[in-house]
Formats: sequence, structure tokens, C-alpha cells
Amino acid sequence: MSIDISEKNGMQEIILDKKGMELEIIGNFHVKGTEKKEISLRIVHKVPSTKASVKFHGVVEDSAFLKITGTIVVEKQAQQTQSFLREKILLLSPSAKAEAIPNLEILANDVKCSHAASITKINEDQLFYLMSRGLSQKQAEQEIVKGFLA
Amino acid sequence: MSKFVPIAPSSKSFETHNAYELGFSDSTNAYVKKSDPGIDKKLVEQISSEKNEPNWMRELRLQALQKFELMPIPTWGGDLSHIDFSSIQYFLKPIDKEKKNWEEVPEYIKQTFEKIGTPKAEREYLAGVKTQYDSEVIYGSLKKTWEKLGVVFLSMDEGLRQYPDLVREYFGTLIPFGDNKFAALNGAAWSGGSFIYVPKNVEVTMPLQAYFRINAERAGQFERTLIIADEGSKVSYAEGCSSPMYSSASLHSAVVEIFVKKGARVQYTTVQNWYRDVYNLVTKRARVEEEGEMIWTDCNLGSKLTMKFPAFVLAGKGAKGETLSIAVAGEGQHQDTGSKAIHLAPYTSSNIVSKSISKNGGRASYRGLVHVGPQAEKSKSKVVCDALILDDQSRSDTYPTEKVFTNDVELSHEATVSKIGEEQLFYLMSRGLSEEEASKMIVRGFAEPLVKKLPLEFAVEMNRLIDLEMEGSVG
Repeated sequence: MSIDISEKNGMQEIILDKKGMELEIIGNFHVKGTEKKEISLRIVHKVPSTKASVKFHGVVEDSAFLKITGTIVVEKQAQQTQSFLREKILLLSPSAKAEAIPNLEILANDVKCSHAASITKINEDQLFYLMSRGLSQKQAEQEIVKGFLA
Repeated sequence: MSKFVPIAPSSKSFETHNAYELGFSDSTNAYVKKSDPGIDKKLVEQISSEKNEPNWMRELRLQALQKFELMPIPTWGGDLSHIDFSSIQYFLKPIDKEKKNWEEVPEYIKQTFEKIGTPKAEREYLAGVKTQYDSEVIYGSLKKTWEKLGVVFLSMDEGLRQYPDLVREYFGTLIPFGDNKFAALNGAAWSGGSFIYVPKNVEVTMPLQAYFRINAERAGQFERTLIIADEGSKVSYAEGCSSPMYSSASLHSAVVEIFVKKGARVQYTTVQNWYRDVYNLVTKRARVEEEGEMIWTDCNLGSKLTMKFPAFVLAGKGAKGETLSIAVAGEGQHQDTGSKAIHLAPYTSSNIVSKSISKNGGRASYRGLVHVGPQAEKSKSKVVCDALILDDQSRSDTYPTEKVFTNDVELSHEATVSKIGEEQLFYLMSRGLSEEEASKMIVRGFAEPLVKKLPLEFAVEMNRLIDLEMEGSVG
């Protein structure tokens, strides 16, 4: 099952309480101007043998601000859990601001859990390649952002 | 094929069953000063006059006490609600004066440190040592070679007496008393710790070492350390700690401030092995100027609760910071540790590697912060946290925060939590190792990337401690 939370704001909680449940959660966030967006997702594994995979992509332009908090909670009885969380944020302007908080709270031992977060600007090699094909810098950036949020 | 047979760890480690070897204690009857439990204005003034301090330090202490009394106890991190500030003895002075000659140290203290092994280490590979016993540094030395080059290595009390201007310029500027409740408490009650100054372009090639021993029951130890590494200098400082086994809690609350000037390099290594009744609440911070480098190596094995987040403020262009930390949380223990990287200047880089092991109901938490300010363009930061959970009673958490205020940066964080791999165990056991031996070997392999960066003698000690910790924890 797949859940898209791109349009959501604020605190979200998803509970996995049926054995064998598998979830994929995606979120693509694009903020511009002076917009401020905060999204917080809490994934709770309550029973054994559940799987979750979270992928968040964010793009921040101008003086916008994006804060993504992702928490994986594995309760004591939730053995054989697999849970992964990835947060990637691209900053397009020097005044763009971002905060990434990926948390893990693991109370069971037979689990595979990981999270990764990165905050970077647009890759210069990619920009250079697109511009060498005749795109302006602005167009090249737009193409990369489109691909990133697809 | 013999080279594929894993070498079993020395049989010695299997014979030792008591995992805490340093739990003995000495009587406090011969102490020169013992304060009554609890802290108030009178005691703070008493400590200050006992030490013959200048007026400004006395004032600072009183201001800090006020802050301490006003600030609420932190509600995040570990459980601090059981600390009874009124039952702790804040000032315990075992002898009247720091000794320059090991022979002059009272016999019972000498024996304690012989058992811990500091005098032997001093003879063999150290540039200088400080040994602190409860509130006071009881012995200190610095080899002549370093003294001649202008290196200063004193107890903080002695440092204040001999270099009051230098101390006044830096003391409490990086960690002000209002930073947190425990920094405020340290500001009011501080006693002992190290004062180090390394002159321009001097490279201290042998490590300086301090050893902190809590001896009395319900003791509070509040050492204060200030390190100033002038331009282009290098120094490596290591500290160890241990305490007796008591049933009531002691409190260790240190403050460490380090100034790394242009092009200087400081490595600060801690092997923390308090007994499991000690609250270890420590604030450590370094300010790194242009092209300077700060390395925290932080090993936490002991204590009931440790909350410690060594930080570096990368204030000059091209400054670098690195933290390597390992925590082992066993029964009744909570290791809430991590690191903070504050990037304020361009081209700065930080690298944080944290490994933790939780077992027998212990809890290990990584708590960290990476902050990249608007002026810190072209900065890089990488944080990697790996955690092992050995049984279903234990817990592992990761709480990192990344804040970025400019776009031309590279920031990454990754963390994994897992148990000991069954295939790995199966393989090693099929080669003839018992489950315990195999688990030890895997845990040692897990810690190795970090342990190998420790100074040699600490690496040996760490491996031994990890083996001891693992004793009987499997099967």
C-alpha cells in the first residue's frame, strides 16, 4: 500500500498494527517565496513483522523554509520490523533554509532500521550538462527539480 | 588455511567475571576538608576563600550559583528527577596541597592510582599527568622538555593563581554559566581540572593525561578544564575516570572549554568508566579558528546516566571538527550522548561517527545537532550512527537535528540499528568459537573503526573493557 502525504501539513501519525502490514509513504514538498512549511511524520510499529519505507523529497527556493521531522518508533513486541526513512532536501538559493530531523526509537532487537538525510544544493555537474545542451540556468534548474520531485 | 582461523581473545578476559574492577574505595577520615551535604552561598564563599581566589572569580561563582538555583532541571534526555542536590557533598579536599613528587602523595591514594595504573603510564609514555581525587588535583607533573618550550600544564586552581589574566580572558566565555543548569552548578562549585596552554607552533608529541577518581560516597566532582592551543600548535589530551561501588548516587558535572587557534590541532580523548551509580552530566565545547582542527574521541562505558554532547564551534574559515564516539549501555544504564557541530564560517567541515551497543535492558541514545549558519557556504558535514541491540530488553534511539541556513553546502546523516547478524554468528561458531567468543569478536569488529583511532594504550584498554562488558551477556 502506498500513501502520499505531499499535501499534508503539521503532525501526521501512521500506525502499523496488523501483522505482515507493508507500507510505502512518499512526500514531495516544494516551497517558494517566504513560505514556511513544517511536516512531521511518526511511524509506529506495534506488532511483529511489519515493513515501512518513507521517502521525502523537498525543494526550497527563495527565502522559504522547510522542516521535515520523521520518527520511526519500534515498540518492544514489534520484532522482525523493517523500517527505512529517507529525507533529501535541495536548496536553490542562498537564503533558503531547511531543517531535517530523522529520529529512531527502537525498543526491539530483531529489527532492521535505518534512516538517512541529506541537505545539498543542485549538483553542478548536472547543471553543467543541461546547460551545455542549450538550456538556460533557470531552465536547467527547473528540469532537475521536476525530476527530483517526480 | 590457518590464517583464516580467527584468533581467540586472550584467555585472561574469560576468567574475569566481575565486570567492574575499580569498585574499591578508601576511607575519607583523613580528608583535610569535607563540606556538609548541600550547596548554598556560604559554601561557595568558603570554597573560594579556601582557594584564595581573586574577587572576580568569587563573584563569578556567586552569579553561577544564582543561575543554578533559578534554572529548572532539564526534562529532555535522561531521567534527572532522582538527583537529590541536597544530599551531595560538594567539596571534598583529601590533602592540603598538590604534590609535585609522587613519593609525597599519601600511601592510600598512591595505592589507588597504582591499581588504576596511572603512575606506570606516566613513566612510560606521557608528557605529563594530573590526578584528581574527589575535589582536588593531588599530584601533577610535566616533563622538562615541554616545560622548557613554554607548555603550561597545571591544575585549574594553580592555573588561576599563576596566570590570572589568561584565565580571566577565556574562562566561561565559551560555556557561560547560563548555558545549562549543570554548567551553572559547575561554575559555582568548580574545583580541580586542568589548565593547559600550548605556545605558538609548539607540537606536544606525547599525550597529556588527567585521571579523575571519585572516592567518597555521595560525592560531587566538578572539575573545570581550560585548554588554549595557540596558533599552529598541537596537543593531545586524554582523561580517564572511575569510582567506587556505592549504592547511592554520586554526581560528576564537568565543564571543558577548548580554544583552538589558527592552524592548531587539539585531540581530546575520554574513557569514561564510572561505576553504575554516577550521574555524568558534562558540558564540553571547543572553538576552532581558521584552519584549526578539533577532534573529540569519546568513550562511554560506565555511569548510571551520561548526558554529554561534545561540541565544536567552527568559527574560522576552513576549520575542521571531528567526533568519534562509542557508548555501551548495560543494565540500568542510559548513555545519552552525541555531538554538536556549529558551522559559522565558509569551507568548514565536520565529521561525526557514533557507535553504540545496548544490552541487558540498557538504553543508548544518539542526540546530535549540525547547524550551518548563513555565512558558512561551501561547508560539509557528515554524521554516521550505528547501533547494535543485543537483546529484546534493550533500547536504542537516534535524535539528530540538522539546520541549514545557506544553500551551498553538503550535509548528510545516516543511521542504522541492527542486532548481531545470525549468519556472522553461525560462521564463527562453525569455525569452533563458542557463542560468547563469537559475539565478542563481532562486537569488537563493530567498534574497531573507532577504537583504532584511539591512542594505542587507550585502544588496548577499550578492547579489554568491551570484552569485560560482553562477559556473560550472551546465552
